[in-house]
Amino acid sequence: MARNRKYQSAAIRFGPALKAILLCLFIGGSGIGYVWQKNQIDELGKQIKKREVRLSDLQRQNKSGRDKLAELGSPKWLDYQVRELRLGLGLPQQSQIRTLIEPPAAPESTNATERLYAERQAR
Amino acid sequence: MVKTLQFQRVLMLVLLLVAAFVGLGYRLVDLQVLRHEQLLVKAQENTQRTLLVSPRRGDILDARGNLLATSIFVKTVCADPSLIGDRHAEMARVLAPLLKVGESRLTERLKLRTIRLDAGGEPVFDKHVVLKHKVKVEEWKQIQQILTSQTFGLATGKLTGAEKYFLGNLQQKAIFTEEDQLRLYPNQALAAHVLGYLDKTGHGVDGIEKTLDAELDGARGWRQMENDKRGRELVALRQQDVEARDGLNVVLTIDSVLQHIVESELVAAMEKHTPISISAIVVRPRTGEILAMATLPTFDPNNLGDGDKEAKARRNRVISDFAEPGSTFKIVVVSGALNEHIVKLTDSFDCERGRFEFAGKVLHDHESYGVLSVENIITKSSNIGAAKIGIKLGEPQLYRYICDFGFGVRTGIPLGGEIGGWVHDLTNWTKLSISRIPMGHEVTVTPLQMAMAMCAIANNGWLMRPMLVDRLEDSDHQIAVKYSPQRVRQVISEATARQMVTALKTVVSPDGTAAKAALEHYTVAGKTGTAQKIVNGAYSNEKYFSSFIGFFPADDPELCISVVMDEPKHGYYGGQAAAPVFKQIAERAAGYLNIRPDSLEETPLSETIAGGSPSLFGKTVAVPSP
Repeated sequence: MARNRKYQSAAIRFGPALKAILLCLFIGGSGIGYVWQKNQIDELGKQIKKREVRLSDLQRQNKSGRDKLAELGSPKWLDYQVRELRLGLGLPQQSQIRTLIEPPAAPESTNATERLYAERQAR
Repeated sequence: MVKTLQFQRVLMLVLLLVAAFVGLGYRLVDLQVLRHEQLLVKAQENTQRTLLVSPRRGDILDARGNLLATSIFVKTVCADPSLIGDRHAEMARVLAPLLKVGESRLTERLKLRTIRLDAGGEPVFDKHVVLKHKVKVEEWKQIQQILTSQTFGLATGKLTGAEKYFLGNLQQKAIFTEEDQLRLYPNQALAAHVLGYLDKTGHGVDGIEKTLDAELDGARGWRQMENDKRGRELVALRQQDVEARDGLNVVLTIDSVLQHIVESELVAAMEKHTPISISAIVVRPRTGEILAMATLPTFDPNNLGDGDKEAKARRNRVISDFAEPGSTFKIVVVSGALNEHIVKLTDSFDCERGRFEFAGKVLHDHESYGVLSVENIITKSSNIGAAKIGIKLGEPQLYRYICDFGFGVRTGIPLGGEIGGWVHDLTNWTKLSISRIPMGHEVTVTPLQMAMAMCAIANNGWLMRPMLVDRLEDSDHQIAVKYSPQRVRQVISEATARQMVTALKTVVSPDGTAAKAALEHYTVAGKTGTAQKIVNGAYSNEKYFSSFIGFFPADDPELCISVVMDEPKHGYYGGQAAAPVFKQIAERAAGYLNIRPDSLEETPLSETIAGGSPSLFGKTVAVPSP
């Protein structure tokens, strides 16, 4: 007893208390961290799922849009529209097409068009 | 005494606790060790699931990337009658208008049925009843919303726990879906015989859909996953996630605009001549690429009928119908004879004033001709002239040229149902054969074979394999397989081919049999055919196959077009019925493909655009019609 009194054994021993607190904090922190991490994983999983669903929806919409575009661009539909709206559109007849004969290269020519053509031929 | 009592009480408590722990311990060992395997499987069944991911079937595109066939994901709506119980009538009432299925039929399907008895004699119920295939995703979402808002005749105010559970199942689990795909053909009947169609399981039955079924199909993926008690996936616990590989896209050589031109002209001809059927093919002779292939009557692969008429309309007559070709076949005998230098274009044959007796039978011409040159035999399509050239060529040589031109065997077009026609083996030829075969009797060919033979003449004598698929590519347009034109063989020399072109050009002249096939701005080479049909074993004088096969510009051919009619009315000669259709198709196709005219007076540039725009060089410009 005397020895205890001499060394003031009743006084607060901070070292072990601190160690105990740190240990508790570590264990508690690890627990909370583990739960937080699991929660985050779960949350990210939900987000992934949500985005997968969204992506799938967008892909479906995109596909649907492309299909609609293809339908609107189909020759049958265009033909029908031209007739229905009386647009009078059609491919030009051969009599409406004039084919231009390319002249032979003329290096001395002063005509800008022909000079350009000659240069192109030279290339 | 007190101590003893206390001790006994403590002992009892301890014993109880020990017994409890032993019991718990045993239970733990039982669950975790003794029944581990069995319970593990059960637990996994409750939480783990393997989801099969279907690949999207590849698209079919035309040569310019236009969509001809595509697939969209849809749902197959199913029911679990064991979760519906006695509410099948109420459920049917809700579902009938949504699924557009008869209510009484639906009520019957939703009734609980025993499919068998298990080992213990207990009934096993049918928990999977298909209610409707091919329901669009948007429609299914609507159905889901409506189902969750229904009470199915249950008084929601005073439901017991079991009733609430039952209602929850009715609203959310009793009706479920499975993944499915719907094949769409945005252009309806356009190129239907080339594209083909699918059966109910999603596999190709005909056309390209069948030939390239494996390539279009893709590879299935899968996902191993765990669900929570509400059935939601726990993404973090996903174990295997293998993506499906979508099917490859097939790019055809078909041009949808050209196909539309051909089909619309065939419809017009169908109205005018009311034949049983009419077919046309447009081929690029240099490569053998098929730019259009059409047959009427046709069908819409989006809505296949069940009747006999619809089934007949699904037959691709271009490759699966054979008939005697008639005079178009004369190109074979004349080509052979020219190639063997047995005759020249200027050589003359006596056409016997339209009546030639050979091997005890009389052969007739449709008109009385005297002496005709080889070229004129083609121009006038003289049967007697062709027979005499055939006799001069000889049986073995004629037979060889028939085979070399590809008759009697399939062309190898990648479409199912192609037949090779019918060419008698040389040993089976009769004495009469050598006079009949040159005019297209005693042999049967498909319209495609005949068109490819004409293409060989247009292509300097080289017979090409018909090409229908240009390439296979993935969804990112990366080419997986590229197909190239294939030469089969050189049937005749280039010089012979040129002579044949010279002769075939005269067919569309005013003196020829197909003046109506002549084009204003292009020289055309071609041949008519009018073959009598065989009715009850004899040639009919009322029923004919009429055809015209031609190519243009004759000296540098871009397109070869074949038109075949089965029993046309109001004119049955090839030059009357088929040639005008050729002309219509050719004119529109030439305008669309911007084929340079070869019989057009061209305007020198200096006269047209004095000091004009350089951007016009080498191009054609449209000017208003006068």
